[in-house]
Amino acid sequence: MDIFLERLFDGITNGTVYAIMALALVVVFRGTGTINFAQGEMALFTTYIAWALTTQGIPVWSAALIACAIGFVLGAAVERTLIRPVRRRNDMATLIVALGLFTGFNALAGLLFDAETKTMPGLFPGGQDDYLAVGGARLYFDALGVWLVVAVLIGLVFALFNRTRLGLHMRAVADNPESAALAGVPTGRILMLGWGLAGIIGSLAGVLIAPLSAQQLSLTTMFPILIYASAAALFGGLDSPVGAVVGGLAIGLLEAMITGYVDVIGGTLQQTAALVVIVLILLFRPTGLFGTRQMERL
Amino acid sequence: MSLLNVTGLCAGYGPARVLHGLDLTVEAGEIVVILGANGAGKTTTMRALSGLIPHTGAITLDGRPLDALSAPQIVAAGISLVPQGRGTFSHLSVLDNLRVGAALRKDTAAIAADIDKWCAIFPILAKRAGQEAGTLSGGEQQMLAVARALMSRPRLLLCDEPSLGLAPKIVGELFDVLADVNREQGTALLLVEQNADLALRLASRVYLLEVGRVIAEGDAERFRGDESIRRAYLGL
Repeated sequence: MDIFLERLFDGITNGTVYAIMALALVVVFRGTGTINFAQGEMALFTTYIAWALTTQGIPVWSAALIACAIGFVLGAAVERTLIRPVRRRNDMATLIVALGLFTGFNALAGLLFDAETKTMPGLFPGGQDDYLAVGGARLYFDALGVWLVVAVLIGLVFALFNRTRLGLHMRAVADNPESAALAGVPTGRILMLGWGLAGIIGSLAGVLIAPLSAQQLSLTTMFPILIYASAAALFGGLDSPVGAVVGGLAIGLLEAMITGYVDVIGGTLQQTAALVVIVLILLFRPTGLFGTRQMERL
Repeated sequence: MSLLNVTGLCAGYGPARVLHGLDLTVEAGEIVVILGANGAGKTTTMRALSGLIPHTGAITLDGRPLDALSAPQIVAAGISLVPQGRGTFSHLSVLDNLRVGAALRKDTAAIAADIDKWCAIFPILAKRAGQEAGTLSGGEQQMLAVARALMSRPRLLLCDEPSLGLAPKIVGELFDVLADVNREQGTALLLVEQNADLALRLASRVYLLEVGRVIAEGDAERFRGDESIRRAYLGL
């Protein structure tokens, strides 16, 4: 029972991070029509900045907030300068730019912060004794903290989408860009803000996962997260924020249970398992659980 | 000075020119209809006027040049388009569709009052307020599209084939509302219509388009009576 609970907690913790990373992918996909494969590496870059700030004595919470702010500027700037000019041509061009950014941001992080593994301080107490005993299992405070931060973030993003004018305009642009422009919505600015929002969410995901990741903060920290998040977004439906959250949690739990209980897969085939999920979903339900749009673009 | 003044309008899609120097005017509070066969450039005219496609030539609204403006800026200037095929936001609720229509307005109380007004004029919108627009029938979506376009309180409303695919009864209701809007709010209307009989009853002036040019213009009265023009250009 207790080992099951610990796997459950692990699954939820990873799942929440996949969920918000998937949410970032969905926010961009809805507006721009392609998966931003560079989302993970952009988050990696800002997480490195947060780490660098903490080494200068800046408290980790402040560093995280600064990383989010930089993530916003970075996302918005990338949309404005690199995506918008090629987007008019076709979606494939956008995809290629995203792949270029993927390698670019990774290389830039390596160049500025070298390839040594860093120890990213956690946002929450992460000692051996900082846990709640739940049914014989240990629920560590740092995991619980991640759950809470993610829950608050998801609440804020949904409030933004459903309760604010900006969110309404974002949904309108995602639904029908031409009609949105005809109603007076500045579609370019809305897309830019969407990329900025995704940048904030991604940065937060990076800062949350790096202290908990087995690899700590290294140049490969975010790649598996992006793979899982893509699987999550596809699972939930690429244009559905609700789907991203549900998909993220589902993938996190699947990962924890499969690696825990299916010996063959163990720790080495985890990502393959996620990729198998992607393929199965694309085969049987191309729009995902909550998706509406046909994914003919992929 | 006319409300809308278009001179030498040329536009098209990529290398394909559709409009070859089109001239037209719409006076304040006037209803004008553009008639012409398929491919004459009616929809292209509407799209160029709304800033959706690039053009050469001059477009002014109340003397103000619109040529360098984007689609949202043209809405801000006072022109609103009900596009062909309606262009409602199919995954947004009816209410949210109307709210997006007021994207440029800041007068929250007046926006709410306008939404109430349109829900009173089109009771079906009130009934379906929370429903996704994509679940509405064609006629209901067209009413929503017109109401949404009018939410920006335009001085000139462009309607691209509002009757397309609708039952005659619905079309009648819709044209009654358009006439009311014109009479009560002084909104000028520029319509593109296949249904010439209906359009000629509503409009005061007519432009006949053929391969991207105006080949005849005049009072709707004259076209109503003129069988030869009707046969030649309206396919009746």
